[in-house]
Amino acid sequence: MNGVIAGISYRALLGRRRIWLLALLPVVLLGLAVLLRAVGADGERATVQLLQNFAIGVMLPLLGLIAGTGVIAPEIDDGTIIHLLAKPISRPVIAQTKFLVAASVVAAFATVPTFLAAYLLVGLESGVAAGFALGALIGGVAYAAVFMLLGVVTRHAVTVGIAYAVIWEGLVGNLVPGARRFSIQQWAQTVADQISSSAFLTTGIGLGFAATALAVVTVGGVVWAGQRLRSFSLTGDE
Amino acid sequence: MSERPSRPNTPAGGPAAPGHPAAPGAPAQENHSSPVGVIHDIGYRHYGGGRLGRSSATAALAVHSLRGIFGIGRTARAKIIPFALGAIMMLPAVVSIAIMALAQQRGMAYPGYAAGMQPILAIFLASQSPYAVAPDLRFRVLPLYLSRPVTIRDYVGAKLAAMAAAILLLLAVPLTVLFVGELLIDLPGAPLTSDYLASMAGAVGYAVLLASLGVAIASLTPRRGLGVASIIALYLLCSGVSTVLAATMESVNDYAAAGWAWLVNPFFLVDAAVHVGIFGTEPAAPGAYPGGIGVAAAIVAVLGLIALSVAVLIMRYRKAASR
Repeated sequence: MNGVIAGISYRALLGRRRIWLLALLPVVLLGLAVLLRAVGADGERATVQLLQNFAIGVMLPLLGLIAGTGVIAPEIDDGTIIHLLAKPISRPVIAQTKFLVAASVVAAFATVPTFLAAYLLVGLESGVAAGFALGALIGGVAYAAVFMLLGVVTRHAVTVGIAYAVIWEGLVGNLVPGARRFSIQQWAQTVADQISSSAFLTTGIGLGFAATALAVVTVGGVVWAGQRLRSFSLTGDE
Repeated sequence: MSERPSRPNTPAGGPAAPGHPAAPGAPAQENHSSPVGVIHDIGYRHYGGGRLGRSSATAALAVHSLRGIFGIGRTARAKIIPFALGAIMMLPAVVSIAIMALAQQRGMAYPGYAAGMQPILAIFLASQSPYAVAPDLRFRVLPLYLSRPVTIRDYVGAKLAAMAAAILLLLAVPLTVLFVGELLIDLPGAPLTSDYLASMAGAVGYAVLLASLGVAIASLTPRRGLGVASIIALYLLCSGVSTVLAATMESVNDYAAAGWAWLVNPFFLVDAAVHVGIFGTEPAAPGAYPGGIGVAAAIVAVLGLIALSVAVLIMRYRKAASR
């Protein structure tokens, strides 16, 4: 953890146009929750569907993508990462710091609105709010790690990231049940299912597998990104 | 050959040629004998062909952009994503032809093709439209384009035409392959020519609307990554909001409102405006669209979004060019 790098990364993430995109997603989620309440569709089933399809299914991967790639990919694109790598700071520490920044931003922008949206609709009933908030927190951290790694590995990090989130988790996950075992969204829902006692939330993955997978993906992503930075070669733009 | 302006035969460039060190008194002497600031003709060949003018420059820019969108003329890595997405777009057509040949049944419907493949089209739009506009903005080369006969409108038009042509290609090729396959297999009953034509008209609608939206959003940021993320975020937001809203409205038995909710998704908006509204095909969305005034509203919305995007682009480039 390095305070200066963290400060620079926070400024790059929150100080520019990126923050509008980061703020837009939670605002839409809260807007939908308010609308559902206004038309009287605020049952537990509708709440779980909203959180599953929108909070975990759309908002979480997008926040992870914007924050995870946003902490490192623009610097690599500009070539300014050279100035950072030239400093006598351990490369794994740079990766860990950037990961902490991305994870904290995703956690703040995903967890709080998820909890609020659920609270608006069903209050604290059957642990839906707490469950999904925890699921969003853990899933968001995992997304941040994976997408930061992508940002270090490839120049097309954002495209590869959306291809994973939309094609693999969305299209393939809906058609092929086996693909769901390798989806961060499904792991996040499994975590939410543990806390919530709602009958409308069922997941097909055991907690043991989901928790192990989340831990492996998060730690592995950060460690690999650090290793990759150690032998980083900056290639020119195409 | 052509008449060349006769030039003074200066053997090795100008007065300050290498291997010709100027004597201490030489510069002052030269100032007296020859005018200051002579442009020496050092013998480059002059361009003697015709000047093709503004329209050709615009067309060249559009073709260059279209090639770049598919990665032609760029590195091999830049070709992977567009061609992989193009191959995925072909899959339903190939599978449908196989179903028609083996089981004598129709597979994917023509008008539902684009809406069914909307995530792929959205990813293509998101990943490729920032390429079309972001580098020029980022490296501030716009004045170089505008020093030619090309105007801002031409530049924007060329970029929009390139992106629209790319999406049209992505849609029209599989649709046409599917139609040719249907004609060759010769299923019982008449071929669905009107459906095919409706879907081709729809493809034009998709191409123009998606290209305007994508290029307009991409032009707002010089960063490619942020542009990609913004476009896909807006698509996922629209489709997510429309799905949630429609499901909610159906759960409270308000089917008219559910129909309007589908129109939030731009893919279903074009489907409602062109396929269902003008050609009267089946809707591609899980529910029905609003009829009557809904069709008019969808058409107005499509045209309005295109006009808004073009206006945003023109304003954005006026500002970018004046910097």
